[in-house]
Amino acid sequence: MVALIPRRLFCTKISRNCHQHQLQWSVKQVTKSNFNDSLHDFHSHLSSSDFVAVSLQNTGSFSAPWHRLSSFDCPETTYLKARRAADRFQLLQFAVCPFTISGSKVTAHPYNFHLFPRDELNIGMPSYSFSCQTSYLTAMAQQGFDFNACIYDGISYLSRAQELVAKVRMGNPIAIHHVMKPSSTPPSVADTIFVERVKSRVKHWKKACADSSSRKTDEALVKSLRKLVLGGEQYGSRPCMTIDVCSERQVQLVLEMLGEFSDDLVALKIPTKGGGTQAVRVVLTSSKEDKSLFERQLQNVEEEQNKKIRGFREVIDLISASQKPVVSHNSLNDFSVIHSKFIGPLPLNMDEFLCSLRLVFPHVFDVNHLMKEIGPLENVTNIPAAISYLKNRFFAPIDMEISHGALLNEGKIHGQTVLRICHLFAKLCSVLRITPGAIQSSDDNITSLLDGYANSFKSCSGSSQESVDGGIRIWTKSPRKVGCKHLVFLWGFRDSLSAGMLKSLLQGSHDVFSEEFDVCLVDKSCAIVVFLQPNLSQAFLDIMSSEGISGSLRELVSEGLRAAGYETYKRACGLGYWEADLASSLDKASATPDCFSQSGSETNPSEVFWCNDLMINLGDL
Amino acid sequence: MNTTKHWPKRALILSRVLSRAFFSNTSTSASPSPTFPLKHVTRSNFDSALVELRSHVRAADFVAIDLEMTGVTSAPWRESFEFDRFDIRYLKVKDSAEKFAVIQFGVCPFRWDSLKQSFIAHPHNFFVFPRQEIPLDGPSNEFLCQTTSMDFLAKYQFDFNACIHEGVSYLSRGQEDEARRRLKSLYKEQLTNSSHNLRETMDVPLVRVADVLFTERMKKRLSEWRDELLQNRSRGPQDQGASNDLNQQFQTVFFKMRPALSLNGFTSHQLSLIRMVTRKHFKDLVYVRFNGESSSQEFVVFTDSESDKDRLVEEVKNEHYRRAETMIHAAVGFRHVIDLLSSENKLIVGHNCILDIAHIHSKFLGPLPLTAEEFVSCVNKYFPNIIDTKILLNADNILQQRMKKSSTSLSSAFSLLCPEIAHGFESKVQSSQPCVKVEVHVDEMRSPDWNSGAKHEAGYDAFMTGCVFAQVCSHLGIDFQLYSTSENLVQNEKLQKHMNLLYLSWINGDVIDLRTGSRTAEFLGSNILRKRFPRILYENIVLIWGFPSKLKPSVIRECICKTLGPTSVISIYRMDQTAVFVQFSKAELVSDFLILKESLERSDDAISVLHPLSQLLEGGNTRAASYETYKDICESPVSELLFADQAEAVGIKWKTKLLPSDVVESQEDNHFHLENALDHTPETVEKSKIRKTEDVVNDSSNKQLTCDEIIDTLLKVEKIRRTSNL
Repeated sequence: MVALIPRRLFCTKISRNCHQHQLQWSVKQVTKSNFNDSLHDFHSHLSSSDFVAVSLQNTGSFSAPWHRLSSFDCPETTYLKARRAADRFQLLQFAVCPFTISGSKVTAHPYNFHLFPRDELNIGMPSYSFSCQTSYLTAMAQQGFDFNACIYDGISYLSRAQELVAKVRMGNPIAIHHVMKPSSTPPSVADTIFVERVKSRVKHWKKACADSSSRKTDEALVKSLRKLVLGGEQYGSRPCMTIDVCSERQVQLVLEMLGEFSDDLVALKIPTKGGGTQAVRVVLTSSKEDKSLFERQLQNVEEEQNKKIRGFREVIDLISASQKPVVSHNSLNDFSVIHSKFIGPLPLNMDEFLCSLRLVFPHVFDVNHLMKEIGPLENVTNIPAAISYLKNRFFAPIDMEISHGALLNEGKIHGQTVLRICHLFAKLCSVLRITPGAIQSSDDNITSLLDGYANSFKSCSGSSQESVDGGIRIWTKSPRKVGCKHLVFLWGFRDSLSAGMLKSLLQGSHDVFSEEFDVCLVDKSCAIVVFLQPNLSQAFLDIMSSEGISGSLRELVSEGLRAAGYETYKRACGLGYWEADLASSLDKASATPDCFSQSGSETNPSEVFWCNDLMINLGDL
Repeated sequence: MNTTKHWPKRALILSRVLSRAFFSNTSTSASPSPTFPLKHVTRSNFDSALVELRSHVRAADFVAIDLEMTGVTSAPWRESFEFDRFDIRYLKVKDSAEKFAVIQFGVCPFRWDSLKQSFIAHPHNFFVFPRQEIPLDGPSNEFLCQTTSMDFLAKYQFDFNACIHEGVSYLSRGQEDEARRRLKSLYKEQLTNSSHNLRETMDVPLVRVADVLFTERMKKRLSEWRDELLQNRSRGPQDQGASNDLNQQFQTVFFKMRPALSLNGFTSHQLSLIRMVTRKHFKDLVYVRFNGESSSQEFVVFTDSESDKDRLVEEVKNEHYRRAETMIHAAVGFRHVIDLLSSENKLIVGHNCILDIAHIHSKFLGPLPLTAEEFVSCVNKYFPNIIDTKILLNADNILQQRMKKSSTSLSSAFSLLCPEIAHGFESKVQSSQPCVKVEVHVDEMRSPDWNSGAKHEAGYDAFMTGCVFAQVCSHLGIDFQLYSTSENLVQNEKLQKHMNLLYLSWINGDVIDLRTGSRTAEFLGSNILRKRFPRILYENIVLIWGFPSKLKPSVIRECICKTLGPTSVISIYRMDQTAVFVQFSKAELVSDFLILKESLERSDDAISVLHPLSQLLEGGNTRAASYETYKDICESPVSELLFADQAEAVGIKWKTKLLPSDVVESQEDNHFHLENALDHTPETVEKSKIRKTEDVVNDSSNKQLTCDEIIDTLLKVEKIRRTSNL
């Protein structure tokens, strides 16, 4: 009741702001309580659909102005920035929508999962702590986000990598389902002795068990003494014994030996913390039926436990297993979050990331990238704007059919974005004359056509499409391509200096500035100088580090002005110097010897788009 | 520390916890009952609540406070360890206060009512959220959440929605100064640059035909309007309708007692053209942009004369300035409460409140200083009288005995010392000691036996703290009848000796004196009861990290003992799975070890491979350094989960940091009392938990520790477990 009052207020606000047709859509909200039921529905919806759209709600995306993605970022720094954000911030909502496009009709089944990284197993996972950006939380609050629902009832999860660690750390016995092949190496003397000893122990124990089950008159003391002597324990209602092992080799030997007994014994591995095996537990079953019953029990327990460990990741695993193409709006950011939360720690560089990701999600579509195909759209980055742009320009009516339509009520407004992505994707397919509905019938052509768009992350794209538009000045709206090597980072100038002032300061300071160049501020501590003539950037850097620096430039340098090339910026990102000011990061990076950026950067000379949209308005920050 | 300090939880009737009062303004009108909720304050009722609180604080004898945060430690190795030196403890507190956010702030003024022979308490529960209400430079607002802490708060039904949607925002003193400075410089700039601006706007070239046509049209419209005004003035007001006919975009209104046109529905480009036209062609018209509450509105105002024009411009400027000032004042928000507490000079009461005070400093005063001494002197300036009930409880022998079977956590102290309030009935055990009566007032409601039962809600925790303090005072023989004013209470000599002492770290009983900054390891009166952990000689300690993760501390000890002698290692303390502290028996062994390690790493021959230490150095990432490096690493703002990663992130590239030679000479100390209590090798989560507890119990058999100490230590073990899950 507490939360409802303010929430209602906010909800009504939203309905006023949004477009009519988008509001009617209802999204199934999933929390801890209805997760298992919804998972079943989701699975069937997923298998009957052609695509899956995803959209994520995070607690933040950057901790300092320069950590934001700018158009001067090359693919590597883009990835590093996305990686940094994915590691730092937490995912609170994951909207998934399996959908099918047939003609102009889209059938969608939207789900919105509320997540919270609760430490269900008390092992410090999935995350010890996470960062929140106040402005993000405030914006979410304005959209009526229910933080209580998220933190109280959010579904937890473990990534694939964490699951492995968790299983080991919990130390639960692992059932050995299939008997291993006999070892190829001949047993050594020590092995033989070990096997014989264990064999006789097992024999005795089994015999004793058989005896005791027939002889029920034993006193408690005798019983416990026998237990002590024989090392027998109970596993549930069944007797069992533990055989300590020192190596995996011994595990093998024990298993082989038990294979000879195989009639009614079940072996379980007891793992150590380090991941090895500490002991083999042998459980005695009373009959063949009992054995299979016991094995089934074990399997159920394990499945139950795995489910508990995986939590929400089950959804990710289902999507991955279905091999359906995944549609996203901002794929690099989304998938770096997905990778870091549900697959494993993000690799150090983009190529490894893409490889690792492709194994899990072979087809990824970025609607942002598809938008580029249409041409002059590259500045339309938000979804509603893109939709209305397409609406005004193309006739491509899309009829949305939502499966949970009947359940509409005011609590279901979260996760609308995922439906807009479906909508936009369908529209784009129609405009671009791709007929994804036929994807099942004639796999070859269509998929390959779509494959042209698949997996091209926004950041990697753009190098081939647009030609250099030489006549356009940099301060106009149109982007132009500038080689990274023409950019020089400048810092150490006076505070509260505007780009224009800095430019006029530089203009008269040295000959290199006699040709055309441009200046823009990255944050309040650092600026970028763009040289439009080749080689001038290097010349400038040389001058800055030379003894013979003179004139007003010398004056500036003695006041603390410093300069570095693009490599230093890359290194700052690569080494993780995410200081609040880019200036301090560049200071640190230029103090670090260059041992980092030898591989990727030389092979593909990076180019970035230079346009004044990248200008960060300091008032906004 | 709030989220952990009341652990383990004591018997408070469960239903009370569950029936936690939810935030609702309407419920205040309900009929008074002992379980009415305390005063919740959010954005909507902050201003009125502040006015009330002001009078309550002014009248109060003391004010109890309590905070709820989004977390306590940013990494497992940032938790409190026995091996933490005094300066490192402060660094850990500092790190916590800098990274996490305060989301609830409980303030509870207590006033002694001599007629009723009872205290009157006004518990306030402020929801706080660091929203950025006015633009400021600097890094974007960001804070950390510790998952376990959030989950813990959720278990106690913390209302995150109320906090994030409706929490009161704040500016620190530093931020406020910065905002005012900005405003001033902006204002000054406007005054001096007005002519410059004028020239700049005149320069807008009319390139497009549309612009030229639009400008001409506007010129015509404006001159028509002005002519009409002048005519009307001479003829008197007759036809009002004429001006309205012009366009919906122009409406004749009055602005600052002058006729004006309000401009609606123009684009910003069009507005700038209108502005230019006004400047260029009309001497008696002024273009004014007026910032209202939420939006801004543009006007073209008619002025009588040049001086009238200047007056108008001045008026508008001043109004903008005033409005911006009010905005800053409003943005200060919750800090007004802190300023109130500071300016009223009241006795502040907290429970184990060093972290609370550090949060107050970092959020509301300014960035935390680098050393504990500076921190303390700064705090003392703002809050000259702070008392910690945990210190009081542990300092007094009789209280100690009374608390014997329980911990000094807030909730257990509360239910033991104030059973009437806590459980609503008179405890039979405590009949010798009369209970101090506390009457609770919330708005119009009052109740002599109030208990909302909402544990871990800052307002209620503050109330409990105040009750415990009142009870302890009465126990110490302080007659409230005599000491009814705050100053007298502060002057009381029985309290004086506990005044301004805070636990820097509860684990070791390290106490810091806020007045002097001096550190007292022991505190008055408690020597008999609480024996300290054996003295740790920091110069004998080597920090080793980055070794193969499968190495257990016992193996590490073995490795080192094989090389430096069987008695060389006193103890090994495991920081996390990647790092250990090794305490040697002699200080020179530290340098011996470091030199040996360094030489082994340099040489690559067969002997070094066979060397017993090679097991430790396996993998080639094992690093070692003296204790000082630990401090450097703790100082870093980075917080990686594992210590080895942290060291790397801090930028440590070397493998071994040798000691400067002169340090070794001076250290020769043969007094160790350290038992081997700290050497445990947790193998699994469960085991480590059990063994930690066992270790403590085993120690007690050595007659080293008192019963209370064991409880304290158990408490600590519990606490570590809960926050670290390791």
